[in-house]
This record gives sequence, C-alpha cells and structure tokens, in this order.
Amino acid sequence: MDDLSYVGKSVPRKDGPTKVSGSAEYTVDVSLPGMLCGKVLRSPHPHARIVSIDTSGAERLRGVKAVVTAKDSLKIKHGFVQTSRYPADQYPIAVDRVRHVGEEIAGVAATDESTADEALSLIKVEYELLPAVFDPEEAMKPDAPEIHPSHPKVPEPFRNIGGKTQTSWGDVEKAFEQCHLVREDRFVTHLRTHAYMEPQAIVASYDHSGKLNVWLSSMGTFLKRAKLANTLGLPYGNVRVLKTYVGGAFGGKIDLFNHEYIASLLSMKCHLPVRIVYSREEVFKGARHAQPLIVELKTGVTRDGTILAHQVRTINDSGAYRGSGVVVIFLAWGFLMAPYKIPNLKYEGYSVYTNNLVRCPQRGHGAPAMRFAVESQFDMIAEQLNMDPLEIRLKNARRPGDILPNEDFVKNFGLVQSLDGVARRTNFVEKYRKAQGERKNGSKIKRGVGIGTCSYFGGSLIYPNGSSVIVKLNDDGGVSLVTGAVDMGQGAETVLSQIVAEEMSVPVEDIQVYAADTETTTVDIGSWISGLTWVTGNAAKKAAENAMKKLLQVAAEELDAHPSELEAKNKEIFVKHAPDRKISYKDVIAASIQKKRGDSIIGEGHFRTMKDEPTHPSLATTHGRWTENYSSYAQVAEVEVDTETGMMKVLKVTTAHDCGFPFNPMLVEGQIDGQVSMGQGHVLYEEVLADKGAVINPSFLEYRIPCALDMVETDYVDVITEEYKKGEHFDTKEVGEGYVAGTIAAVANALYNATGVRLNQTPFYPHRIIEALERMEKEKKA
Amino acid sequence: MEKKSKRLISLFVNDQEYEIATYPNRTLLEVLREDLSMKGAKEACDDGVCGACTVLMDGTPVRSCLLLAVEAQGRKITTIEGLSRGEKLHPIQQAFLDYGAVQCGYCTPGMVLTAKALLDLKAKPTDEEILTAISGNFCRCTGYNKILKAISSVDADGQGGH
Repeated sequence: MDDLSYVGKSVPRKDGPTKVSGSAEYTVDVSLPGMLCGKVLRSPHPHARIVSIDTSGAERLRGVKAVVTAKDSLKIKHGFVQTSRYPADQYPIAVDRVRHVGEEIAGVAATDESTADEALSLIKVEYELLPAVFDPEEAMKPDAPEIHPSHPKVPEPFRNIGGKTQTSWGDVEKAFEQCHLVREDRFVTHLRTHAYMEPQAIVASYDHSGKLNVWLSSMGTFLKRAKLANTLGLPYGNVRVLKTYVGGAFGGKIDLFNHEYIASLLSMKCHLPVRIVYSREEVFKGARHAQPLIVELKTGVTRDGTILAHQVRTINDSGAYRGSGVVVIFLAWGFLMAPYKIPNLKYEGYSVYTNNLVRCPQRGHGAPAMRFAVESQFDMIAEQLNMDPLEIRLKNARRPGDILPNEDFVKNFGLVQSLDGVARRTNFVEKYRKAQGERKNGSKIKRGVGIGTCSYFGGSLIYPNGSSVIVKLNDDGGVSLVTGAVDMGQGAETVLSQIVAEEMSVPVEDIQVYAADTETTTVDIGSWISGLTWVTGNAAKKAAENAMKKLLQVAAEELDAHPSELEAKNKEIFVKHAPDRKISYKDVIAASIQKKRGDSIIGEGHFRTMKDEPTHPSLATTHGRWTENYSSYAQVAEVEVDTETGMMKVLKVTTAHDCGFPFNPMLVEGQIDGQVSMGQGHVLYEEVLADKGAVINPSFLEYRIPCALDMVETDYVDVITEEYKKGEHFDTKEVGEGYVAGTIAAVANALYNATGVRLNQTPFYPHRIIEALERMEKEKKA
Repeated sequence: MEKKSKRLISLFVNDQEYEIATYPNRTLLEVLREDLSMKGAKEACDDGVCGACTVLMDGTPVRSCLLLAVEAQGRKITTIEGLSRGEKLHPIQQAFLDYGAVQCGYCTPGMVLTAKALLDLKAKPTDEEILTAISGNFCRCTGYNKILKAISSVDADGQGGH
C-alpha cells in the first residue's frame, strides 16, 4: 500500500476553503429574484377530522401570492417505504384528517415573512376532534383509537400495526431448555433528534416552461427528485434538484417532507420562487425525529457464556404515518444478528402507529437501541457467570469467513481484532476489575469503564440502488469528476477525488467536482445507507480506469509503445523502461481530439451492491441478502459519576474500528469523534419531550446538545481489513453511523461498572441514577 | 402588522462603510445576510444559543441574531468574509483545514471568529480556555476534538502551523 499517493492519506477537504471562508452556499443562502416567503399551517390537534378549510381571508391579504391546500393537490400519497406490502400512507398535504400535532394543512407564499404569518392566521380550519393515543403499547390495545387500520397481514388482534418483521431459525424453546442461564430483560430507548445545524430548508422555483427547480437540504437529491415528481405528477426530467452545501443531516434529511411538496406546489401556483426555511422551533415541532424502540430480550447461554438463543420482541412507535418505522424493526434485527453468533433465534418486531410526530432514520437507525439492549444484557450475563465483559464478547463474536443467517458473507470481519485492540489500548480488564473493587469504598466520585460493540451493513439496495460516475479530461490534463453524490459534511467529494486522483495520477487539486445536481450529474445511491465510499467510490474508480485506458491507448500510439509498457505519473505518461520517452496528458488529449475525430476522453463507471440480488431483503421476513461488507468495531467508554448529584461525565472513548480501508484517516476520525459526541448527548441528556403529541422543549435552550465543554477525549485503534490496489475492485465498510450505538452501549456498561447502577431506560438523567442508587441502598438495608 | 418607517444607518463592516436604509427592528444578522449579501454568518437556533451567527464587534464575539443592526452603528464589525486577505486564508482558517476541524461547515464561520477573538486576546490559550471560549458555538459534526486541535495549533505570532 506504500505506493499509494492519494488514497489512504489525510487529504484536506475539497470543499474546505469555501467553507472556512463563509462562501459555501447552503440552501438557506439561496436567493432568487422575486423570491417569496413560504409558511406552513399546521394542525394544533393530535387527531382530528378536517371539517372545512376557509382560505379566503388569506387569499385577500395584500402581498399573498399563493395559498395551497389539498384542493390544489393530486392527492398522491408518499411514504419512506413504498412496496406492495407497505404502500404509501401519507398525503403530502392533509386531505380530510390530521393524525399528529404539526401535520401540514395549508401553505402560503407572501412577499415577506410577517405577511405570510398574518396570512396563516387568517386561514380558518374547522376540526372535529378524535381520540388520540401516544404510547405504542397503548395503541396496540383492542380498545385504542384507530389511527390507521392494522396491517392486513398481521394476524394478532392488535390495533394500529403499521408493519411487522418476523424471522426465526433453529428452535429457541429447545435451546432455552438446554441453557445454563436464561435472562429476560426489557430496554426502553427515548426520542432523540438529529440536531443538524442547518434547519430544514427549500427554495422551489417553477418556471413558465414547466420546469421545477429545487434547492433543498438533503442526503440524496435523486431520491428527493423521484418523490417530488411522483407526488406533483411531473416527469422526472421536469424536476431539477440542484446542489447546495448541506449543514448536517445525520439521517434527518432523507425522504420527502411535506413542506418540500408544499413549497413546490406554491411555486407552481404562482410561478414565483418560494422559500421555506424552518425556525429551530419548527424543526422540533414539525420535522421528523429518530426512532424510539422498546426491546424485550430473552437470552440463553451455556455455562461458559456461549449464546444458544435469543428471543426478541421490539416495538417501535412510528408516529402518525409509517415513516421509517417498518424499516427500523427490520434493521434492529440486522444489528442483533450481525456481530455475534446466534444459533437459535426468534424475532418479532412491531411498528405501531401513534398520534406522535412521524419518525425518520437517525444515524444508526435501530442500532443504538438494539446494541444498548444486547450489550447491557451481555454484561449482566457475564457478571452472573463470573466472566469479564471482554471474555463473553470474544467467545461469541463472529469470525472472519462466517456466513450470516441471511447468507451474507462477513469476509474479513474485524470484530475479534477490534475487541482485542481496544481492550489492550485501554487496559480494559484491569480498569474494569479496579472499578469493581472500588465501588463500595465510600468515595462519592466513582469511575468505571464499559465496552460496547456494533456491526453495520453498507450500501444496501434502496432506490436508486446504484451509482454512476463520469470523469472528463480537460484540455490541460485536469479532470472534471461528475457525480450525484451529496457531501453533507462527511467528505464524499474529497474521497471520490482521492480515488480518481489515485487511478489517474492527477493531483487532487487538479480535480474539479460537479455533484448532486439531478440534471447535470449522474444518478447516485445517496448519502444515507452508509455505502457511498464503497458504491460511488467503485463507480468513480471504474470511470477513472475507463478514461485512463483511453489515455494510455492514445499515448501508446504517440510514443510508439504498447499500453502495457506505459506508466502515468503526475499528468504525464512515460515508457517504463525508457522514462525519457514521455508525453503530457495535455498532449495526449490534443492528439486524441485530432486523430480520433474529436474524442476528448471521457470515462464512465457504474456500481451497485450485489450483482445477483434483484432487490433489497424482505422487510417482513428478513429473507434476502443485505450487502457484501460488514464493518465492526469495539468501543470502550471511561466515565465518572458523582453519586451525590447523579451527574455523569463521559471522559474518554477509545474506538477500535474495522471500517475496511480508511480512505482518508482524518475524515474517518472525524466521523468517529462526531458519533462519540452524539452518543454521549443521546445517552446522558438529549430527549425530545412531548405532551399529548406536542413537543414541549422545542429549542436548543431546552434540548441541550453537547457543547465544547462536554467534549469527550477520543482515541482510535485502526483495524484495517481491506486494501486498496490500483486498477482493482476494492471493498470497504461503513464508518458513519454505528459508533453512536457502540458509544451508548459502552457508557451504559461503564455506569454499572462505576456504581452498580444498571439502567434499562435512556437517557441516564441524574435523577434516574440517584433513584437507582437509593433503591440499591434500601435493598442492602433490607 | 404595523410597519415602522425605515431609518438610514451606517455600518462599518470589514473595514468598509455601508449606508443602509432599514427598519429599526431588524437584526444585524438579517442586514448582513440580506442587505450586504454576507452570508457566512448563519441562523440556526433563533435563541442566541448556538453561535452560528457569531460576528466580531470591536473584536468581541457577538450573536448577530440577538443584536439589532442599529445597535451596531459606530462599531467595527468583522465577519468571516473579512478574515482572509486576498487569496491567503487566515492562519486559523488554514488550521481548521489542516486538522480536519470542518465537516458540514455550517458552524465554521462563527467558530473561526470566536477563535480569532480568543487568540487576539491570548496568544497561547490552554485547552480549557479554548473549550470555554467556544462553548457557545455548537458543532454537531466534529465532537469538537479536531476544532480544539486546530485552534491550539495556531502559532503565538499568528502565523499558523502544526
């Protein structure tokens, strides 16, 4: 790997200079002549029938250019999942019923913000209130208010079931009988949010030619285009989503959101550009947050800690529409089965409608909840068996070459190396034992360590399923890289440039990236299923190889040599055994244009996960392959707990990561740091609170995210399991999502190690820690 | 809604004077972004909590979303657009690139300006002083680790370096 010049190096970000100088244009910065301010009227009720909507007052107001309701819409439903089992279930603007506080009922576009606000206040909506339910287990009861009919293929007499995932292998009942120890525990995770710094934002501009131009803050412009075109009844080619910089997403900016549809509809009605930018309050009250999950986990092990069986039931509160609820109950199964061997399994997951806000993916999408549950229970079992937490994990971790129950192949799976690596780096076992010994020593401040692990799929088949990349040679030998990839901060444009630079022997600074524009760039899988570096990266590699082949062919003719005798370096091609015989790319391109009838040399490349799989695995049965690459990692958290106040601090998180091959170590570290920080916030204090479906802490004053003084020290152990070779296909793995899960699990176990407090419910508020300590004290006395 | 009449105000931004007719209830952030097209300062929380709208007023970081434009008259305002000199990035900006302190970049302008104010006051701050200074600038991407490294790498003489 020493001969690599760009890949595997900490190349600074391509978009860095524009970002540090303040000139990077985000959606909130887009300004068009005549642009109007768009606003959305939202339901104040969690569940109601819309009797009537009177917009006449708003329409008469001076400065109002358009008002839209469902009357202006084609009433085509959309959904995060749209399959025959799970058809779309949400109107992009409410038709006759609202099912959550904040549901979009009407939109206005006016010349300024205060006029738009006034127009909203003039819209009269008559509601007939319906009973509502906010707890998923309440919503499942036979007498619960019906939000949507229960899914026809779910046999149980539950209400409000949006979907179910069910799978099993082996014989769990028989296995439990053979177990030395069987534990049943219930874990509850809470409603967290992404807290992307740039709010939801869109500028939609429909022109007289019938073209809708859209700038929006997203994770995949091609997916947005498809869903906008479908709901608006426009051909895909008439909807152009243009590139803007994205001020963070973390899962929260995929799928179509109703305000995006409404902005587009408003612009189509008045033929003027319409901008909708959420206030932070609106983000909290109206945007989608993450997926809370209940995990009921029964596990049986042998005397030596070998897992024989898991029986698992998960319940997801999907909110008022399906959103990604039916995905999270599938993914939670995946994050259960990937890292550790499970000979017998029975899994069922329910996604339940409630009158809460709709949910969407968030970094990890099911992994944080599932790994918190499993890893917490691992430590409980280990303690009962008198094992240490490392030992039980090493015993059960999948090994390289294992075949997963879904027939995926984990190949060079690095979990054992990660566990070993992180334990060695942190002296984990020693620190763990020391903290155990000091738990009862009378000191008020306790320290502890905990371990957590996760494994993650990458680049699975979800629309648009694959990526295409084009590289164009410029006359001077520089390269234009054309890709649909969205760089939302993770560094997609930089990594793709590194790959093209490596394959074409062109410096990274000579590569210009044209990205994320649905009209002028190529289709891309998107930045939302942890597969961009692998999927789009391989497409970029193929495109670069394709262009290089043409370059070398022309150069061979010019140098009177065979292409195999040639080598490229820094935009020059020379004969290997006679380096004096050389030609610049510039001259090769000129020769190609002259002698090949104008061929200026363009390379194209395409890539998709798994060539033999027609589609993604079944969300209902889990059958079907998922991906070809599984990352794995182990993290150790070191915490300090003040047993008088219940305040807990995460001091340090050490991460041993098998992300395959780190294309840009600096960016890899950045992803891990960000996830450690987010995991810390989520497990300690971040929670979206709601009263009867209405968010009651809708600001950064009341929903606290980690600030610099909360910074967690981070350390990394590289477990490199793949390599990059010029001219060959490469494999690499996820690094941007699952570390939130590992961090949360590690912190939960560190809390126990420090204090003996085992919390089965997140977040770990000080009062929960204090209450648990008091309970322990009482039990001791009794 | 009743509209107040506009007032002519004079702002001194990045060493240049601007005369602007504006309503007195508009914030400095609105005037910078909408009237002067300086869009580096961002709105992200509306509460003065997150620091994305940070600019310097007489060298001190202020929340431009909480400050009325009329209040900034007669003061020296520095925005991110005024930090680099021609082609050359300011050493703090360069350090942010070199150390991977930028991801989505939305908080970066405010963060860099807060760092500048700190380093102008104290050439070699401790880690604790840096973290305290930037504790009012939220970043969701980086966990602050690389931002800390970037700021502490900037040389005492302001030349930047590793």
